Amino acid sequence: MNPGTALAVSGPAGNTPQAGADLLRIVRINEEIKTVVRVAFKINIMALNAIFLAKRAGTAALGFGVLSNELRIFSQDLRESMDVLTSLIHGCVNDVSLVLQDSRHTRLLRQAVAQSSDQRLNRVLMAKDAENERHVEHLGSLRKQLGRALDDAARLVELGGVLAKSAKIEAAYGQTFAAALTQVSADFDGVVEEIRSSLESLRRSTFFRGN
Amino acid sequence: MKTTKTIFQDGNHKWVAIVRDPEKQNYLIDTNEYLVTHGSQGILLDPGGAEIFPAVFSALASEFDPGALTAVFASHQDPDICSSLALWLEFNPKMRCYVSWLWGSFIPHFGGTQQTFVNLPDEGADIPLEGLTLKAVPAHYLHSSGNFHLYDSVAKVLFSGDVGAALLPPGEDGLFVTNFDAHIRHAEGFHKRWMGSNEAKRRWCERVAQMEIDMLCPQHGAIYQGADVQRFISWFDELQVGVCGG
Repeated sequence: MNPGTALAVSGPAGNTPQAGADLLRIVRINEEIKTVVRVAFKINIMALNAIFLAKRAGTAALGFGVLSNELRIFSQDLRESMDVLTSLIHGCVNDVSLVLQDSRHTRLLRQAVAQSSDQRLNRVLMAKDAENERHVEHLGSLRKQLGRALDDAARLVELGGVLAKSAKIEAAYGQTFAAALTQVSADFDGVVEEIRSSLESLRRSTFFRGN
Repeated sequence: MKTTKTIFQDGNHKWVAIVRDPEKQNYLIDTNEYLVTHGSQGILLDPGGAEIFPAVFSALASEFDPGALTAVFASHQDPDICSSLALWLEFNPKMRCYVSWLWGSFIPHFGGTQQTFVNLPDEGADIPLEGLTLKAVPAHYLHSSGNFHLYDSVAKVLFSGDVGAALLPPGEDGLFVTNFDAHIRHAEGFHKRWMGSNEAKRRWCERVAQMEIDMLCPQHGAIYQGADVQRFISWFDELQVGVCGG
């Protein structure tokens, strides 16, 4: 256990300020995840169109067709990755809410202990402190899982970036379709950059610097 | 800390009022809690809001073993009535909560599990307390749509929730009503606004007028005793309620 964590939970003020700020950070993370999900859907549609375009271009765009298909798979993987993040975010909201509730109840129990000579209440407070600690530790574990899931998503986006850049190269071999394929591949590159930027913003969130 | 005052005692059958915390923040409405004990068990009536739990617990513990509390009685669902429930259950998870069936799935938002709640039917019910039978008396729409008072026919005490409540100014906050006419001025506005149904009020007045009541104990304000009980019932019977100035 992190001694700082115990102090924050069991101290007179509890760790309400951090939990309150965490809730705000979680809301922002969730908004960013929703943005990535929207973009992932967009890539899926773009990839489908690109596959049809490549078919029309025939043998000159065989490589482009393969890459478009890979980008479509990438968009589905990205969606699954965001589902994992969303589920972890919901878990974090639950844990932060428990920590907030713990904080209030612990404060009131501590006041009752200070005013009463009933030793059993002290034991209730100690049990409550132990429960609070478990909630904080569980939140810490979810925070780490969320960080790891974001790292996984970032690696996935790197792959998406490579696919988009490869599509740009393949577009050059598209003969009469080259201009259209180049435009599509540039669009791919743009949306992958958009996702990369969203994920970087998520990874910088101070939420991951908490306990 | 709140103070305790035994308002009825016959052997180990007691009514204890838990009242008037000088350290209470003014933004919280003042409340009265009542402990009824019989034999070795106790029931706490309208245990109060979460913020006053420390004051109520410590006052109660000075009079009675809080571990011997078997139940709380919630007259209705308001936060000043029972938002402390989760904290009482931290201390004694086996404690039961008697409340109108109407609120049986609302009050768990304050705490408790399915096992915690004993839903009272609209017509009322008997509540046992180690050989003593307390009666949950219907007081619906006074003010809550699912509302009960608690009557102890042995002690001749009626816990009347918000009926009889008064918002007392500093310096006039004695535990018992001593000057009915002066006191009732502090109750009038509250009853006109908070009590929503003249028909429900009439039925309640008819019901309780038939009971032997030595003390009528509201959740806010002062206790009516002796002739002031009937005086209050008559006053309330004539009052037009459900009135809003706006």
